[in-house]
Amino acid sequence: MSDPLSATMHIASSGLQAQSERLRVVSENLANARSTGDAAGSDPYSRKTITFESEFDRAQAASLVKVKDIGTDNAPFLVEYEPGHPAADENGYVKMPNVNVLLELADMRETNRSYEANLKVMTQAREMVMRHIGLLRD
Amino acid sequence: MEPVYLTKLISQSNGWLSTRQATIAENIANANTPGFKAKDVEPFVSVIDKTRLAMTATHGNHMGTNSDMPETSKVRKSDSWLVTHSGNSVSIEQELVKTGEVARAHSLNASVAKSFHRMYLASVK
Repeated sequence: MSDPLSATMHIASSGLQAQSERLRVVSENLANARSTGDAAGSDPYSRKTITFESEFDRAQAASLVKVKDIGTDNAPFLVEYEPGHPAADENGYVKMPNVNVLLELADMRETNRSYEANLKVMTQAREMVMRHIGLLRD
Repeated sequence: MEPVYLTKLISQSNGWLSTRQATIAENIANANTPGFKAKDVEPFVSVIDKTRLAMTATHGNHMGTNSDMPETSKVRKSDSWLVTHSGNSVSIEQELVKTGEVARAHSLNASVAKSFHRMYLASVK
């Protein structure tokens, strides 16, 4: 079994990595909140989803976290009446992405919270190591 | 020489705290993993109560028998403050409270070790 404190660092960093990947997906969704298709009646950007999975790491003897899958949301697209738009169909309706900005912002806050918690664990493990070194110092 | 085995006790306790910190890190890293159950280590009291004879690993091929290390045990679902719809039972607040406990106990251990060390040094001088 490896040193639990260095295992802590590994686990927390896997958490940080997973959460930053999640933030990337959120930013992709937010950036493309109004991205329509370019041909008439074509599908717009569809919202991306991310799922995590815990993975047992034999070297650390602990469950790390990793991104399982980045999928797409199957929710129906919103339609807006905008006859002058290049992606409008014959009736003048444009399909808009199924991105809910409010939902993405809430997801972003949750990501931020989890990221901070991982960071806190890492800082504390570091403090514990420094305390051990401090015992040798004087 | 050392009637209370203080140094060993402190080192054991710090080892237990490190393991607990690793377990908390696991819980927090998996705070958004569907179906993940929060874990915790067994209490330190039950670790030091287990005074059993363990075989020593003297060869690289021996199976690891590290008896001092507490085993991580699964927490029952009811111990967690929160169970989300995805079956995840990690509450970040609860885990942060636990890290606070670990930090406090660890700092106490370090201070006690330091003051005992000072006492030894004073007798040497």
